[in-house]
Amino acid sequence: MGKVVYAAAMSHVLYPDYYEKNVGPHGRAMVEELIAVVRDMGRDLLAARPDALVVIADDHLNVFSFDAIPALCVRIGRSVERMVQDDAIEFDRALDGLPQRYPLHEDLANRILEEGMEAGFDFTASWSAPLDHAFLSPVSTLCGAQPAPPLVPFWVNCFVSPQPTARRCYAAGRHIARVVGEGPWRVAVIATGGLSHFPELSLARVGTSDVAFDRRLVDLMESGDHETLCALTTKELDLTGSHEFLNWMVLMGVVGPVSARVRFFGEMGRIDLAALEWETA
Amino acid sequence: MSRYEVNVLLYRLKKDPAFRGRFRDDARAALSAALLTDEEREAFVRWDARRLNELGGSLHLLISIPGLGGH
Repeated sequence: MGKVVYAAAMSHVLYPDYYEKNVGPHGRAMVEELIAVVRDMGRDLLAARPDALVVIADDHLNVFSFDAIPALCVRIGRSVERMVQDDAIEFDRALDGLPQRYPLHEDLANRILEEGMEAGFDFTASWSAPLDHAFLSPVSTLCGAQPAPPLVPFWVNCFVSPQPTARRCYAAGRHIARVVGEGPWRVAVIATGGLSHFPELSLARVGTSDVAFDRRLVDLMESGDHETLCALTTKELDLTGSHEFLNWMVLMGVVGPVSARVRFFGEMGRIDLAALEWETA
Repeated sequence: MSRYEVNVLLYRLKKDPAFRGRFRDDARAALSAALLTDEEREAFVRWDARRLNELGGSLHLLISIPGLGGH
């Protein structure tokens, strides 16, 4: 019987130059501190010997366009490429020098997709979407020089309204947990992004975060109060700049209502950086 | 509709270097076939990112167009 052997969530711009440029030396120092913590977490992840690594993250209009934005998307196929963007801004320069191609865990991805459709989740399937920093910045930091386990990338539409609800994201996570439980594999799961930044996706408000809201989210995760988190509205996630918390909601659906352990929480002003881990049975 | 038009153009500016070059050389000419309101067109021509954002332009696109983004 399969099991979730590691579960964590973390901010996903693990790139000191970005924060140096936009925040200054204290931004660089804070993200370097977070990177050291995420490297430590990666040692635990790899020590759990996962057969697959499910990565729940969002697209920044790098991969999907306004032609069609999937609410929830499973990447299937044999392998996935790193996004290449000429003259990329700092977010995506974090990917420079990383491997160009990563193996996928095709069987687990197919089961999540196919059994999801059977269970009433109208997941989108993609055979070609590449991975941007939301996936590869954490994966490369966690794994360091070790090869990443075969991936199952899972996208949540965090940024183009109308987004899926927090409760629906949590339900998708419960579905992933069922698929893992019924399968033969040891599976690690991470969610990425956040915490609050870019409130209302307003250019005028870039540079501000909502520390009080983030502290509340962390408290709720520490206490395992998932029902309160499921009741978060799309509007409050938008107003506080917590769009990417939807990824974390999927992860909490995977682990169920257990307490999280805070590995890092840092208030930078522009964003609050965080990394949390959950016990897995 | 206008939200779609604004964002399709922003996406193209991000992803299509040739279009981006034409836009930099002569923004009004590059946008001549685009179905924009006058207000949207003027915001593109003078590259008023904040106004484009208020008109529905995606923040993530506005901050990530090579040579025009930055924040």
